[in-house]
Amino acid sequence: MYLTREEEEILAGEEGESSQKAMELIVALGKIYGADDLVDITSAHLSGASYKTIGDGGLKYLEDMVRGGAVVSVPSTLNPIGMDRERWKEMHITPSFAEKQLMIIDLYGKMGVRTTCSCTPYLGENVPSLGDHVAWAESSALSFVNSYIGAKTNREGGPGALAAAILGKTANYGLHIDENRKPAVIIDAEIEGSVFSYSMLGQAVGMAIGGKIPYFRGIDPTVDDAKTMSAAMAASGAVALYHIEGVTPEAGNFDLNGLETIHIGNKELEEAYGKLNTTDDVQLIALGCPHLSPKEMRDIASFLKGKKKRNKDTEIWFCTSARVREECPEEVKIMEEFGPVLADTCMVVAPIEGVFERTGTNSAKAGNYLPTLCSQEVMCRDVSKLMDVVM
Amino acid sequence: MIKGRAISSGKAEGKVLKLDGTFSFLGGVNASTGDLNVREGNIAGKVFVFPGGKGSTVGSFVMYDLMVHGKAPAAIINESAETIVTTGAVISSIPMVDRIDMNVLKEGDDVIVDGDTGTIEIKGTKSVKVVSSAILRDGKILILQRPGNAKSFPGRKSLVAGKIETGEIPEAAAAREIMEETAISVSAPDSVLSPVFVREDDIIWEVHPFLFKVDDADPVLNKENVGFEWISPDKIADDPSVVPLTHRVVNEMIMGLK
Repeated sequence: MYLTREEEEILAGEEGESSQKAMELIVALGKIYGADDLVDITSAHLSGASYKTIGDGGLKYLEDMVRGGAVVSVPSTLNPIGMDRERWKEMHITPSFAEKQLMIIDLYGKMGVRTTCSCTPYLGENVPSLGDHVAWAESSALSFVNSYIGAKTNREGGPGALAAAILGKTANYGLHIDENRKPAVIIDAEIEGSVFSYSMLGQAVGMAIGGKIPYFRGIDPTVDDAKTMSAAMAASGAVALYHIEGVTPEAGNFDLNGLETIHIGNKELEEAYGKLNTTDDVQLIALGCPHLSPKEMRDIASFLKGKKKRNKDTEIWFCTSARVREECPEEVKIMEEFGPVLADTCMVVAPIEGVFERTGTNSAKAGNYLPTLCSQEVMCRDVSKLMDVVM
Repeated sequence: MIKGRAISSGKAEGKVLKLDGTFSFLGGVNASTGDLNVREGNIAGKVFVFPGGKGSTVGSFVMYDLMVHGKAPAAIINESAETIVTTGAVISSIPMVDRIDMNVLKEGDDVIVDGDTGTIEIKGTKSVKVVSSAILRDGKILILQRPGNAKSFPGRKSLVAGKIETGEIPEAAAAREIMEETAISVSAPDSVLSPVFVREDDIIWEVHPFLFKVDDADPVLNKENVGFEWISPDKIADDPSVVPLTHRVVNEMIMGLK
C-alpha cells in the first residue's frame, strides 16, 4: 500500500501513540481488503457505544485511547447507547450498567465525538454531501448516506471508524472506488408504498441478494421510507449501497445491460413477513428502529391522539434522537400517555433480555436482531396493528 | 521460515494451539481466564492458529479484554484474516500473520511469529525446496506412483516432483525432474504458482508448482516411480493417496492458464 511521507511518519509513531495505533489499524484493514492508498474523509459515524455490546473490553479500550490522547480530527457522531441517559430507570436498567454506560459516553466526549447517540445522524447532526468520502459504522446509516446521499463509505466496524476519525483518513478500497459502486442486480419492486411496506421490501431484498448492490425500479421512497429500507436490507442481507431509478444521485451513471432482474412483489413480501414474525403476544412494543424522524413522530402522535392505552401489561417505548425529541414537544406529550419517548437508545442495543421475552416492532432491522442480540420472540407489524395490542 | 503476510506488528514465540474451524472470540473464549469454550484448552501465551474469524464485531473488544487480563495469545496465525480478528489483534498489540496453510502447523509446535516481516518459523523443522509439476495432456494430469521405500511420501501418488539443487532456479529444476523421471521434454511453463508449504513430520516442503501442457508425450519412467496414470483434474481430490494440496494447486494453475 502506498503511504505518503506524513502517513509513514504517523505509522512510525512520530505523532504519538494513539495516532500510530490508528494508522496501524487502518493500514492492516486496508491490506486485507487490497487498498492501494488512503483517502481523506470529511466525517465519521462510530458504532460501539452501548455497554451491552462492547462490554468491559471495549470500555477499557476507550479508556486507554483517551489516556493516549486520542482526539478525532473530523466531525464524528456516535451510535445509540444502551439507555436514555436520564430516564434509564424507566427502562429497567441497573445502576451498575448505567454507571459504565455513562463512562463510555464520557470517554467518547473526551475524544471530541459528538455524543448525540443516534443511528440517524444524517437527519441533522452529521450530513455528508454527494461524493464525500466518509468512514461510517452503523449498517443502516452508512447504507443511507452511500445510497440516498451519494457519499462513499465501506461498512466500517467500531474501532476502524474511530481510527479513521482520529486520522481523518481511511483505507481506499471497496465502495470508495466508483468502479465498485456499480449495481449487480436489478430489483423490479411492486409494493403499496407505506413505510412498513418499504421495511418488508428491504427484508425481502436482503434475503434475496445478500451483500450485492441492487438497482431498484418501480419505487419512489421518501426519506423515511429509505431510512427503514436501508436498515432492513443491511440487516437481512449485507447491503451497503443501493440505487433507485430516478431517485438516488448515482442511479444514472451505470450501464445496466446484462444484469439479472429479480421481481419482488406480494409473494416475496409475505415470505419476509413470515420470517420475522415468531409471536402474536408481546410484553414490549418498541418503535424507532432506526430512530423516529420528526414526520414519523407526527404520524404516530396523530394516530394515537384521542385514543387510550387499555392493556397496562404491555410497555411501549418510542426511540428517537435527543434533537428530534426536543423538536416535537406536542407529539411527545401525546406519545408519553402511552409510554416513554426515549432518546440516545433503542430496543436492540438496550439490555432488554431478562426483562422482556416478546417484543413488537415495525422494523425489519429490529426483527432480525431482537432474536439474536436480545433473545426476544418478535411480532413485526405496522404501527396501527401493533397498537391494536394495547387498545 | 515460512512466508505469509504481515497483519499486526511485533514478534512472539509460543506453543501452537490449533483450531480447525473459524472462530468467534465473542462466546468462544472466557476473556478473564483465556479458557476456550469450543474445546479444552487455554489460549493465554499460545500461538493461536485458526483459519479465520467469524461472528460478532464485539470479538475485537473481547481480544482487548484478554490482553487487559494478561490472557491474550502470544500471537495469531490465520489462513485468511478478516476485519474482526485483524482489528482485535492490532488494538491489542498481538503479532499476527495470515496466508499460512494451517496444515503446516501442529498442536504443540514451538513457533516464532514475526508480524513485521509476515513470516513464521517452526522450531525443530527443516525447510526443503522442491518443484512439483503438473503435465497436462488432453485435459488430463499425469500422476506418478511413488515406491514404498521413497524417502518422502512413500507409497503415495504425486505430480512430477523433486528437490531443487543448490543454485538451481525452480523452473530449470522442474524441467530437469520431468526429463529424469518421465523422459518428457518441456519448454517454458504454461502456469506457475507462488510456493505452497506441505508438512511431513519434521520437514516443511516448500513446493514450487508448475504446469506444462504437452501434445502427445508418453512418460517413460526411471526408478524413482513405479507407475503412472492420467487423471482428470477434478478427480484428484477423490484419491486419498495423492499427496496433500495437489488438487488445489493443479486447479489453481489450470485457472491461471492463458
